[in-house]
Amino acid sequence: MPAPAADVPRGAPDGGGAGGSPLGAAAASTGAAFIAIAHTAGGMGVLFGQVVRRLFAWPPVLDYPELRRNLYKMAVKSLPIVIVTALFTGVITVIQAAPIIKRYGAEGLLGWGAGFATLREVAPLLTALMISGRVGANNTAELGTMLVTEQIDALRALAIDPLSFLVLPRFIAIVVTLFTMTLYADALALFGAAYSGLALLQIEPVSFYNGVTGGLITLGDVANGLIKSIVFGLVIALSSCHFGMSTTGGAPGVGKSVNATVVASAAGIFVLDYFVSFILG
Amino acid sequence: MSSDLADGAPPRRSSVVRDLGAAGIDLFVGARALYGVFVQTLYYVARGRRERGATVRQMHAIGNQSLFFVSITMGFIGMILVYQSGLQIKRVIPDFSLLGATYLELLVRDLAASLGGLMLATRVGAGIAAEIGSMVVTEQIDALRMCAADPIDFLVVPRFLASLTMTVVLIVWAGTVAFATGAITAEVAFDVPLRTFCNMSLIDWGDVLTGLAKCFAYGAAIPIVSGYCGLSTFGGSEGVGWATTRAVVNSSLAIIILNAIISTASLLVFGAT
Repeated sequence: MPAPAADVPRGAPDGGGAGGSPLGAAAASTGAAFIAIAHTAGGMGVLFGQVVRRLFAWPPVLDYPELRRNLYKMAVKSLPIVIVTALFTGVITVIQAAPIIKRYGAEGLLGWGAGFATLREVAPLLTALMISGRVGANNTAELGTMLVTEQIDALRALAIDPLSFLVLPRFIAIVVTLFTMTLYADALALFGAAYSGLALLQIEPVSFYNGVTGGLITLGDVANGLIKSIVFGLVIALSSCHFGMSTTGGAPGVGKSVNATVVASAAGIFVLDYFVSFILG
Repeated sequence: MSSDLADGAPPRRSSVVRDLGAAGIDLFVGARALYGVFVQTLYYVARGRRERGATVRQMHAIGNQSLFFVSITMGFIGMILVYQSGLQIKRVIPDFSLLGATYLELLVRDLAASLGGLMLATRVGAGIAAEIGSMVVTEQIDALRMCAADPIDFLVVPRFLASLTMTVVLIVWAGTVAFATGAITAEVAFDVPLRTFCNMSLIDWGDVLTGLAKCFAYGAAIPIVSGYCGLSTFGGSEGVGWATTRAVVNSSLAIIILNAIISTASLLVFGAT
C-alpha cells in the first residue's frame, strides 16, 4: 500500500487569494499557516497510527537487522556529542546556580538545586534537542534521499512495505536512543556539575552527592525526566519520519525537509514539555 | 550513494588509539577550516563589495520569519521554567517573594540568550545550510566563482551581518515573551502577584553585559558554522541533508560551548554577586 504521507503536498497552499488589502493578505497568510500546521499534524497522526498498527501486527513485520543497524547508527554514534553536551550542561547549571548559592550561603544545597533542575528538565531537554539535530535530521535526510532517488518506489515494486521495513525500525530506534542517551546525560551532567562545583565554588563533590541523594530528590524526579524523554523521542521520530517520507523536489527538497523537521521537533518538544510537566506535577 | 540501506553495520575491529587519533585530526582540520571562514568573513565585512538589499533580505528571512517559532518555544519555556522552579521552592521554603527577581536575573544573564540561541541555531542554522548546500550541489556556487564573486563575500557575509543584528533583537523579544508567560504562570499556579514578580532588583550591569555578549557571540557563530557546513557540501541530495544535519548539531554545540566559556568568564570578572 502507498504511504499516504508521501502523497500529502507539503507547505502552505498557494495563499494570497484574498489579495488586495494588507488586512486580507495578513488573514490569508495566517490562515495558510494554520492550514499548513493542521496538514502536518494530520500527516503525523496518520503516520503514527500506521506505525502503531505495524508494531502490534501478527506475525511481526519488524525487520530486526534494520533495527540493529539503526540503533548502532543513532545511539552509539551519538555518544560523543551527548557526552560533550551533558558535561557542559552540568558546568553551566552550576555557574548559573552560583550567585544564588553564594547569596544564601547554602553550599550544601548545590547538589539538590543542580540535581533537581538537571534530572527533571535540563538533561532531558538538551539531550532531546541535540538528538533531534543529530538523529532526527539525519533520519529525514536519509528517508528523503531514498524518496527522491526513487529507492522507496523500488521497495514497493519488490512488494516490500516501506513503513515496516524503513519507518518502523527507525521509529523504535529513535525512541530507544533518546531514552538511553537521557540516562547517560543525567549521570554525566551530575558528574560535570559536581566537579565544576569543586573548581568554581570550592564545594566538595561529597557534599554535592549528599545533596543529590539526601532525600529531597526522589526517584519520582528521575522518572519524571525519563518519561519526558520518551515523549520527546516520539515527537522526534514522528516529525523526522513524516517529513522524510513527504519530501519532494530533489536536493533542495531534502534540505527543506530537514529544516522543517528540526523546526517541528523543537517546537513539539517545548510545547509537550510544558504539558507533560504540568500533568506529572 | 545507494548504500544507505546497507551501511551502518558495526565495524569489525577498530583500535581505540586509531579512532581517537582520527577524531582528533578531523576536529583539528574542521576547526582550522572554520577559523578560515570566520577570518574571511570578517575581512569581507570590512573590505568587500556590498550587494544592495542582500543584508536586508536576509534580515527578513532570519528575523521576521523566525519570530513565530521563537515566540511559541520561548513562551512555553517561560511557563515550564517558572512552574518547575516554583515546585522546587515549594519543597524547601514556601516563600515565592524572590521567585520573579531570581528568574529575571537568570533570564537576562543566561536563559533568554542560550535557549533562544539554541532555537535560532535550529531554525536559522538549518535554513542557511540547506540553502547554501542546495546551491553547491546545483553548481550555483561554481557559477558564482566563475563570475569572480567569492561565495563567502556574496552569501555568508549578508547572513553574518543579518544574523548578528537579528539575533540580538530576537533574543530581547524571546526574553520578554518568556518573562511574560512566566509571570502569568506564577500568578495562576502559585498566586504570586504580578507586582511581586516584576522585581528587577537583582539585575546589575554584569548580568546585562553577559547576556549581550552571549547574543553577539551566538549571532556570529550560527551563520559562520552553518555557512561553513553548507559550503562544504558534496554529493547530491544526501549531501544536502548531511550538511543540514551537521549545521544544526555543530551550531548547537558551538552555543553550548560558548555559553560555558562566557559564563565562566563572567563569573570570574563580575564575581558571584
